[in-house]
Amino acid sequence: MGAVGLQTYIWNNNLKSLLLLLGFPVLLIGMVYAGELFLMGMGYLPAGYSTGQDMAMAARMLGRDAPLAVIASLAWFVIAYFSYQSIIDLSTGARPVTRQEQPRLYNMLENLAISRGMRTPTLRIIETPSMNAFATGLHEGRYSVTVTTGLMDALDERELQAVLAHEMTHVINRDVRLMVIASIFAGVITLVAQVIYRSIMWTRWTGGGDRRRGRGGGGLLILVALAIAAVGYVLALVIKLAISRRREYLADAGSVELTKDPDAMISALQKISGHSHVDAPSSVRSMFLDDDEGVMGLFATHPPISRRIEALVKYAGGRLPGPAAPVVQPGPAAAPAEPPPEAGPAGPWGRRSAGPWG
Amino acid sequence: MIALVIVLVVIVLAVLIVAGAYNRLVGLRQRANQAFADIDVQLQQRHDLIPNLVETVKGYASHESSTLEAVTRARAAAASATGVEEKVQAENMLTGALRQLFAVAEAYPQLKANANFMRLQDELADVENKLAAARRFFNNAVAEFNAAIQQFPAVLIAGMFGFRERTFFDVGADRAAVQTAPQVKF
Repeated sequence: MGAVGLQTYIWNNNLKSLLLLLGFPVLLIGMVYAGELFLMGMGYLPAGYSTGQDMAMAARMLGRDAPLAVIASLAWFVIAYFSYQSIIDLSTGARPVTRQEQPRLYNMLENLAISRGMRTPTLRIIETPSMNAFATGLHEGRYSVTVTTGLMDALDERELQAVLAHEMTHVINRDVRLMVIASIFAGVITLVAQVIYRSIMWTRWTGGGDRRRGRGGGGLLILVALAIAAVGYVLALVIKLAISRRREYLADAGSVELTKDPDAMISALQKISGHSHVDAPSSVRSMFLDDDEGVMGLFATHPPISRRIEALVKYAGGRLPGPAAPVVQPGPAAAPAEPPPEAGPAGPWGRRSAGPWG
Repeated sequence: MIALVIVLVVIVLAVLIVAGAYNRLVGLRQRANQAFADIDVQLQQRHDLIPNLVETVKGYASHESSTLEAVTRARAAAASATGVEEKVQAENMLTGALRQLFAVAEAYPQLKANANFMRLQDELADVENKLAAARRFFNNAVAEFNAAIQQFPAVLIAGMFGFRERTFFDVGADRAAVQTAPQVKF
């Protein structure tokens, strides 16, 4: 069902993330199939007489091999999960700050946490002029939200709150954990693909390995295996990044849920646009507020800022600060006597006649 | 046999779809209620500021009793209002009365310079801003709920389970007057 507002938009994005995540087991089975074909082609597994027969036989063998592969990847999963945990805990070398040092920022974060009944994450600060923020931590008590000093200087109160709420939503949605799971999945699949690719390269280099005599079928099977492995390799990466982008849209939406202020999120995004570069390992990058690494589209961890703003306008009722935008800050003396700040020329709140809700 | 299975599958699917649509509507309605409760919190805060404000103004402009009484009355009405429509109306009255009060205050330089008065004015402005944000969020939630009950297949069951279109928290007809309020200058 289509999204008609913020909540349905959030549901849709969650559903899409789930579907994307389900793509990984499918990919894994595809990779097992490629591995079987590869082993047949190399003569390590018994093969039939024609390529078609071989492929059918490999498909039948999946019934036995797929569960084995699932068990093997589960074991890997457990090990990788704990190593990720230590990497993530180490990689947030940013300095934790206390309430005394940053009362304003700390209170904002604490208020957001309280409103969701959560423990306040550790607040950390990186001293850099670039503007970014990220959330890390796999478990309650380990969560932390990091902002750069550049961000703190450039954004006003509302925008800073929107950014903190964006990061809080990553924490609330357990996005760090989700991305670790996606990364491990993608890692398993890319490893299988690389093993297949490297052994083919190695066999060609040393000139040996093809134990099958007199038939060209082995070569064809290897080519098919290579093709499947290549597609799987790319898809694993694309799925992982697509999940990451879904979570960004979700965090933007969640930020509006928490702060009720889509405009602040929009103007914060506009301000950080182009100033968000921070050096960090890629596992941390996908949790950034924005990841400015120059890649776009399918291979980006974050959607382009213009698309994120578009989504905020369409689903969260945000307004673009154009030249005709209403003045948001009424003078204190006149404030109670003036129309509420949102009552601009755009019409009654949330009921723009041109809007998606008629 | 096969026919039976097909019928069963169709029934199960239909039940699942209805349950899904129903849960979706319940979730959206709950969210609108939550958003309205958030507005209420801000309204309450606004009401709490007013007695203090009235007292402060009284100290400097005691013979503006009609304006002050209007504010007190509007506050009492707003505090006892229930339901969205009634609340909207009462709050609009209160906004109008407050506007009058601040217009009157313009004539009393000493009042305008009073620290307490200035603080109350700031606090009211802050509450107004939060109120505006909460209202906007509520209206978005209501718009979403209203759109969802008109979507297929929810539209088939919405009436049956009592999901009715909700009203927006709108300043409505008074809005024009609010926007073109005369600037009082002395």
